[in-house]
Amino acid sequence: MRIVAICTVILIPLLALGDDADMSPSILDVKKQHEAQFLKMAGVVSVGIGLDSDGNQAIVVGLDGSHPDTESSIPATLEGFPVVVQTIGSIRAQ
Amino acid sequence: MADDLNRIRSILSVHRRQLLERPNVVATGIGYKETGGAKTEQLCIVCSVTEKVPAARLSAQEMIPSAVDSTPTDVIQTGIIRALQVPTDRFRPAPGGVSVGHVAITAGTLGCWVTKEGQKVILSNNHVLANSNAAEIGDAILQPGPFDGGSFPQDHIAKLTQFVPISFQGEPSECPFANAVISVFNLGCRLISSNTRYQVTKLQAEDNLVDAAIATPLNPADVNDEIFNIGTIQGTVSGELGMAIKKSGRTTGVTTGEIQQVDVTANVQYGAGQVALFTDQLLAGAMSQGGDSGSAVLDDGNRLTGLLFAGSETTTIINRIENVFSALGISL
Repeated sequence: MRIVAICTVILIPLLALGDDADMSPSILDVKKQHEAQFLKMAGVVSVGIGLDSDGNQAIVVGLDGSHPDTESSIPATLEGFPVVVQTIGSIRAQ
Repeated sequence: MADDLNRIRSILSVHRRQLLERPNVVATGIGYKETGGAKTEQLCIVCSVTEKVPAARLSAQEMIPSAVDSTPTDVIQTGIIRALQVPTDRFRPAPGGVSVGHVAITAGTLGCWVTKEGQKVILSNNHVLANSNAAEIGDAILQPGPFDGGSFPQDHIAKLTQFVPISFQGEPSECPFANAVISVFNLGCRLISSNTRYQVTKLQAEDNLVDAAIATPLNPADVNDEIFNIGTIQGTVSGELGMAIKKSGRTTGVTTGEIQQVDVTANVQYGAGQVALFTDQLLAGAMSQGGDSGSAVLDDGNRLTGLLFAGSETTTIINRIENVFSALGISL
């Protein structure tokens, strides 16, 4: 536990330095930053990186059914990256 | 022509038995005679053999006569004829892609054989081999799985060796600090004679990377390194957006798809209201159903890229094979 805490204390500034070196965030950074907030919205079951209808890399949000409130509160783009909403149904272990 | 066919049918019905009794003969029928590799117009009695043997090595009784009741014969090599097997059958040795399961579950898929400390072991999901964390190491693994008629001890193929625990949301917390705080709280409740007790549960469980487990065979001769109806694994490859993939599974057999999303974070339901959050997953279109869990996912070149474990009506969710290998300390 203590080792983990020490490692975290050392690693956090290093990671922060890494971020500073690269000014424009990648789609992965943007997705990571927003996915927890998406997953709290009603009906959201997945957040991934896929393609939009034009073949551009996009943040893809999966819904378990029709959720108009959720769909209307998800922006069309995030920091310049397209956001696509798809209804995929509930995901179950098979 | 129809007359010929009827005449040969009656001749064959008389002689079928004595033809089938000869060495290597596995089938008799009526077909067009082939001469020098080309089909002729001549109807004949076709004898299928496991292998063609030079006439010099056969006695007169063993040899198939060139004609039976003035009807010519033909001998073709077909090899041994086997009943076609389906993935829910019993297989020994057992390849990837067939039914398997812990004694207490229904059935899932034997993904493939991998190597753990120099020994070949079965790779599948935790929820197939370890009953979603509920199993004990050493528990019996059946092939086929219980739902497909597998029973103990006849179909006992392996013992559970190792599984990666799945962290479910809302289950009791293992956090020592939170549990210590709450036990003090509960002591207080007891002191004031309240019947209320508190329990710490995880609001946000740890992220899961894999739903994976391995099992060691009781008999090394039961290992078949191939994947049913796919073939031999040709190494591994990291899954990428747009990659064409396939799997061989217990329920839907061989299906194909494409990786549509990477870096997927998803909430997956495990019956009984249990939900687990998975990160760094691959997502493909619909290519599986219940019972396909545990299937090995390969690219066009038969390179292993993932372990299938979940899906919705329109999607399939796959663990990255590199995460599976590192979590269990295994290799191909």
